[in-house]
Amino acid sequence: MAMVYLYELAHGRSGDKADTSNVCIYARDPKDYPFLKRVLTVERVKEYFGDIVKGEITRYDVDTLCGMNFVMKHALGGGATHSLRLDSLGKSMGGMFLRMKVDTDW
Amino acid sequence: MKKVSIGGGQGFWGDSPDAAIHMVRHADINYMACDYLAELTLSIMQRQRLKRPEAGYARDFIGMMKEIGRDAKEGNIKILTNAGGMNITGCVDALKEALLAQGVQDYRIGYVTGDDMMGQIDELMAQGVTFENMDDPNVGDFKDIREKLVNANVYFGRQPMMECLDGGADVVLTGRASDSALFLAPLAREFGWKDNDLDQLARGIMVGHMLECGGQGAGGNFLYDWRSVPRMDELGFPIAEVTEDSLHITKAPDCGGLISEQSVKEQFLYEVHDPANYITPDVTVDISHATIRNAGPDRVEVGGIKGKPAPDKLKLSLGYHAGYKVVTYLPFGWPDAYEKAQYAADILMKKMRRKGMQYEDIRIDYLGVNALHMSLAETSPEMLKNLNECVLRIAIRTKEKKDAALIIPEISPLQLNGPPGACFFGGRSHVEDVIGLWPTLIPRDAVKLQSHILEVK
Repeated sequence: MAMVYLYELAHGRSGDKADTSNVCIYARDPKDYPFLKRVLTVERVKEYFGDIVKGEITRYDVDTLCGMNFVMKHALGGGATHSLRLDSLGKSMGGMFLRMKVDTDW
Repeated sequence: MKKVSIGGGQGFWGDSPDAAIHMVRHADINYMACDYLAELTLSIMQRQRLKRPEAGYARDFIGMMKEIGRDAKEGNIKILTNAGGMNITGCVDALKEALLAQGVQDYRIGYVTGDDMMGQIDELMAQGVTFENMDDPNVGDFKDIREKLVNANVYFGRQPMMECLDGGADVVLTGRASDSALFLAPLAREFGWKDNDLDQLARGIMVGHMLECGGQGAGGNFLYDWRSVPRMDELGFPIAEVTEDSLHITKAPDCGGLISEQSVKEQFLYEVHDPANYITPDVTVDISHATIRNAGPDRVEVGGIKGKPAPDKLKLSLGYHAGYKVVTYLPFGWPDAYEKAQYAADILMKKMRRKGMQYEDIRIDYLGVNALHMSLAETSPEMLKNLNECVLRIAIRTKEKKDAALIIPEISPLQLNGPPGACFFGGRSHVEDVIGLWPTLIPRDAVKLQSHILEVK
């Protein structure tokens, strides 16, 4: 079993709209894209973020870019100035996502 | 074949002007667009304006134009910006003054009014508009926030800005123009794109999308490989070169930054939700089959962008008073930095309970441990035990201002009255207003935008 940080296989960026956070995730190498699609299910991502993301998560695939866009509702502690989080805009959500450990033998 | 070049000069209110100044002086561009408005910006500007009637717009833009107003005019570079914020005429007056002081002549300032809908809310309610929250209809009833509204601004598209350009504007100033429409307007006018040229309009919107965050489209905030970005101290901002059938992203000569497949990709889906339905006032964009490929040093070609008809309604962004908030910090050093910070939090919470503080929400974090990654932060008992330093952060949201204020005088005394090694920094905290956001949809015919031209001679 080879557990690696997703960061080794993917890159991306997080953004905010009110209390919704989106994280786009791209394969660093196109050959890993099918693996990433298989492993990064909505259920897996929802479980990973746990209490941090309180709402629904939707994944949109853009195969031509070897990328996926995860849209996560109620993910920023209330959004905007409502949020008490240090990172109320979720700038670090991308890094948090890529910190997930994935099993490359899976 | 006709080619139009447009640069992105600012990514937000407070951005550095350096890249915009460099771009105007050294890049071969026809237009530069500067986005100043994030979601909350207009609420902040409106509160500034209520305190000082001459405020309420992005003064940064005036400072920048003092540097490059003359250069842009002489280089025939037209500038579009939503710097007008909540006080467009105030911004126009300040710009006129700044241009006259530089001796710039024969200048035309175009500006757009009508996005401020605050005066029409009751009328629209009477017409049956419900202002349902478009993000989540279950968050509550609009009537509960009606009396707490701070601002109400509608996102609008390219049309009134094109009218300003038709009138010979050297600069176009707006309030809540949608960020990407600042870029679409000159492109649609140059190429004569019509309402039914949906794929072309969508390309123009994506030019805006890739450029509207400034440096973030040219190697800033680049997770792929930030070490590979040259000269971040002179980071250039992105420039789009557009023809009828090609779209290249590049940057000015002799500046830092990076334009690559990966740097453009990271911006491409940033703050997009459904890539097949990216909704703007001008067109619904479909980038679900888009392509991005390297086309030379610091040059990327983007293709496969499609358009669908624009939505029937326009987005109205409402800001409303949602209570108060206070954030305090207290750092501790080794030994036992983390344990002492936890103990200080406990002391403060006991004191607040005794003083009867009422709160809506409270959050306790430890900077250096888990303030950013929260429950996903990786820690171990050894790491926590041997931390060099740790900053306690307590954030509290309250209904009443007096409750938020209770904790403020209790922080500094912990240097003498609490566990050893606390150091107070940053001065006393202040109670801040909390502004809630309430996005909603309104009928297009409720919005009456007007374009104007002011001649500066």
